[in-house]
Amino acid sequence: MSDRSQLIETGKPFKFDAERDAEFERLVKRYPTRESMILPALWLTQEQEGWVSAEAIAYIADRIGTYAAKVFEAATFYTMYHLKPMGQYHICVCRTLSCWLREKQNIIDFLAEEIGVRPGEISDDGRFSLEEVECLGHCGTAPVVQVNGEFHEEMNVEKMKTLLAGLE
Amino acid sequence: MAEMIKLFVNGEEVEVESGKNLIDAVGAVGIEIPHFCYHPALGADGNCRMCLVGIEDGRPPLVPACKTPAAEGMKVQLDTDKIKKIQRDMMEFELINHPIDCPVCDQAGECTLQDYYMTYDGVSSRMNVEQVKKAKKLDFGGGVVHDQERCVLCGRCVRFCRQITKTGELGIVNRTDSARVDIFPGRPLNNRYALNVVDLCPVGAMTSADFRFKQRVWFLKKDEGICHGCSKGCNIFIDHNREKYKDDTIYRFRPRHNDQVNGYFICDEGRLSHKKENEGRLLESLKNGKPYNLTESYVLAQKAITNAENVLILVSPNLPLEQLVATQVFAQKIGASLSGYSDGYIVKGDGDDFLIQDDKAANRKGLELLGINTGGDFFWDSLEKAECFICIDNELPAVDTKRLIKALRETKVIALSSHHFNLVDQAFVAIPVASFSEYGGSIINCDGVLQSFQAAVVKNTPIADVTEVLRRLGGPLSSAPEVLAAIHRVEGPLAKVDFNRIPAEGLKL
Amino acid sequence: MEVKILSAKFDIENSHKLEVAKEHGAYATLEKLFAMEPADVIEEVKKSGLRGRGGAGFPAGVKWSFLPKDTGKPVYLAVNSDESEPATFKDRYILVRDPHMLIEGIIICCYAIGCHDTYIYIRGEYTSQVRILQQAIDEAYEAGYLGDTVAGRDFKLEVTVHRGAGAYVCGEETALLESIEGKKGQPRSKPPFPAVVGLYDCPTIINNVQSIASLPFIIDQGAEAYTAYGTEKSAGTHLFGISGHVEKPGMYELPLGLPVLDVLDKVAGGVWKGRKLKGVIPGGSSTPVLTAEEAKTATLDYESMAEHGTMFGSGGIVVLDDTVDIVALVKNLIDFYHHESCGQCTPCREGLGWMLKITKKILAGGGSSEDIDLLLELCDNIEMKTVCVLSAACTMPVRSYLNKFRHEFEAYVEKGASLQAAGIQG
Repeated sequence: MSDRSQLIETGKPFKFDAERDAEFERLVKRYPTRESMILPALWLTQEQEGWVSAEAIAYIADRIGTYAAKVFEAATFYTMYHLKPMGQYHICVCRTLSCWLREKQNIIDFLAEEIGVRPGEISDDGRFSLEEVECLGHCGTAPVVQVNGEFHEEMNVEKMKTLLAGLE
Repeated sequence: MAEMIKLFVNGEEVEVESGKNLIDAVGAVGIEIPHFCYHPALGADGNCRMCLVGIEDGRPPLVPACKTPAAEGMKVQLDTDKIKKIQRDMMEFELINHPIDCPVCDQAGECTLQDYYMTYDGVSSRMNVEQVKKAKKLDFGGGVVHDQERCVLCGRCVRFCRQITKTGELGIVNRTDSARVDIFPGRPLNNRYALNVVDLCPVGAMTSADFRFKQRVWFLKKDEGICHGCSKGCNIFIDHNREKYKDDTIYRFRPRHNDQVNGYFICDEGRLSHKKENEGRLLESLKNGKPYNLTESYVLAQKAITNAENVLILVSPNLPLEQLVATQVFAQKIGASLSGYSDGYIVKGDGDDFLIQDDKAANRKGLELLGINTGGDFFWDSLEKAECFICIDNELPAVDTKRLIKALRETKVIALSSHHFNLVDQAFVAIPVASFSEYGGSIINCDGVLQSFQAAVVKNTPIADVTEVLRRLGGPLSSAPEVLAAIHRVEGPLAKVDFNRIPAEGLKL
Repeated sequence: MEVKILSAKFDIENSHKLEVAKEHGAYATLEKLFAMEPADVIEEVKKSGLRGRGGAGFPAGVKWSFLPKDTGKPVYLAVNSDESEPATFKDRYILVRDPHMLIEGIIICCYAIGCHDTYIYIRGEYTSQVRILQQAIDEAYEAGYLGDTVAGRDFKLEVTVHRGAGAYVCGEETALLESIEGKKGQPRSKPPFPAVVGLYDCPTIINNVQSIASLPFIIDQGAEAYTAYGTEKSAGTHLFGISGHVEKPGMYELPLGLPVLDVLDKVAGGVWKGRKLKGVIPGGSSTPVLTAEEAKTATLDYESMAEHGTMFGSGGIVVLDDTVDIVALVKNLIDFYHHESCGQCTPCREGLGWMLKITKKILAGGGSSEDIDLLLELCDNIEMKTVCVLSAACTMPVRSYLNKFRHEFEAYVEKGASLQAAGIQG
């Protein structure tokens, strides 16, 4: 894991929109402690903004009534929280055992060639970001790719080409 | 008294207190179980794995001592090859990504990694790949500077801020060997006990901006003392050194464990009050604010006292019982009024429910037990009548200055002062006295705990304490036994105290 | 070979919808359940021999009986749907294709242990899965199977889905609890065990999705019907995930106890591309590898795997063909476990990173024979010295590769390239 502690400040205050606000209030009743809302609140933030800024972490901490350092810990510990803006299409390619055995590297190499991004990078036009992720639990249909959270199974270069072509 | 139980360490039977974990239980009888993350004030966390010990016939046979209660008949193994290897292995893991920058590290000399390396490791590094790089000299606020590479991630500092101060500024972010202690940006350490993380840190990751690079710790003389910053009387170490061609100087105060008073900690204000022992001191006698020969100063002072019909002596509430009683006897002899007026030492609302007290006087309880009048009316009435006013180290904080100036218009002021307080320059004569790091004595804290302390610092030119100065001014007490006898003559709880046998944790009156 | 107990509804269209699931028997056991005493439910589950299907294989009924009685505190159930062990993907099928079987199982378990609040901890990567699961829960609430009066009975049950966010370690049961509490997923020292001090310091049972989903069958058909499948000590069926170098990878429900090679050949279509078998990882990436030779005598149950020096694990079988570069595979594995180390315990936090770098060095041709020995020693030095078994999940398989395929590591040391590339016969 690389260092995730360098948070980005937007310079603007953050708050939940009306929909997330309501969802937060609905969820908080499901737990006996407010701190249980740290992960759900980070998810709500990511849903709303696409990523989690320093301001959002501070907002969540204050909203829950806990230490900012605790939310900071969670945000950096759990790697699915994006701590910087991602591409319009965030592509996750599973790099672990079964996908590795079934040649996920071909897909990574193809993407580097085709859209010019390597794992951890965002394309210059901001359309694509690529991440190699650990096991996505689709080993029986490896290799697997996720684009903005949607699974694409039994992938290969041909299917990746078609998938990219189908994106706006 | 806790129940005692018997268990075996390396086959030897030892008797230990029940209800403690193995580290504390066998530690109390002098057997060390190495550990980084456990701290008695913060509880067991179990992350460092350094305290793994074998339990013969145990299930499981290998346990972290910090999480294992001492139990009757338990057979603890510390010296088996297996345990020794585990200790060596844990040290290896702690050290592979450690910068080993001991030559420039403030912790060197009192570093757990160094000590354990000598005791439990001692082998050469096998690390032949690139180390993990992290940030250095991060300003965490509160005077704390952090080095992430030196950190062993024991989490003591994090737990301190969550459990003790409940301010939670610190966290361990990331996971894997990328994990590191950090503050959330813009929310630095902001509590009045922050510097305790420097003491808690077993390695050189947390350093004090105040102490950084000032001294190698092995040059420091570490004497026991009592903080005089407030009425809590926290136990401290006074770490001082006389460098070549220089004077004996205090470089830091550190908390000294005393469960009856301060536990393991002190506040930052008290800790940094060591500077006051070095700075702003009155080191020479003055006449009307100008340096003046000490012997002549005594003569002038004595004359002023003798010539005055009405003399008022005001003592500092920080003075120990011994100096207070010497003043009392002196006042009786010369027929002076004696006041312990010190309302200004009380800063309402400043205290908390931990260590810091509203009352910044170290020995107010002592004043009261000696029957010294602390009332404001008495002080002002006496002052307005006085032709001579002897102020003994009382700072007169938050005093009504106008009223004071008016009252002192016709009064000869004699200041016996450790520091260059305001009144010193206005005094007819000012004579320096020792400050609390330079004398021994006894004080009673806000909870009625009587504590004794010894002199720590001896200046190149020693400064007389109040008892001695008063003796030179004609005071009747000239020896310690005489002083103690005077205290014993005071009715009340002090009459029976054996001042030569005050327990280390203090005597609850 | 395949059987259809847990997977009975998997092939039915829209089986995740309540209406369809009910048509095929969902929630039918509740009538019988509420006629039983909770203690009898526990007894029935004990009799069924159902073992935790998360990987550890601890008997589920026994686990439940560890709950202290009358503590005055609520009892929680946490359903472990973190499923992150590489090569494991069975629970996902339940979540997506028969979520009502899981909910029904939750009701059974909660009734048995006197629990009224359940949290389903689902890994964050399961995006579409969490949607389907939540829809099913919403439907169950609407139909009165969850809420204040479960199936019209005086029994209250709330079920909340809690999403993880990318941390394998949260599959460890106490890390999972920490994560629900909003903390980093760092495992707790045991004792105390979660049955005594668990979620929010209350007695808590944590069971894997498949374990819970097995309950409706056991209660409906009885323990004996369940033990009719599998072996004496490894009862019932299991959702095996077969992946890697086979012709027909996928999820197959099989009784326990079948020969490994039979399953590979007859169920999964044999090694792909007509290649030869090099090895089999029997139960998820953390289980020690079986060589092709060892695989010949192994059967898919807890006991046989233990006899072969490995573990049944999660039933995630990975097949390695003879082209696999074991050194590269080991690097891939250590990379995973290092990336997922919670960073709490010194040996795992520092040691796995060190092992990874040494392996990379060997792969790059810069390693020595001492480095191979050092890797082996580090496996010993790290293993079982930590709060949880994440590091052991790395060192146990890595040791097996180092011991069984050392010549592949030696090839890198000597030739600076893989056995295959160096043209050496394996």
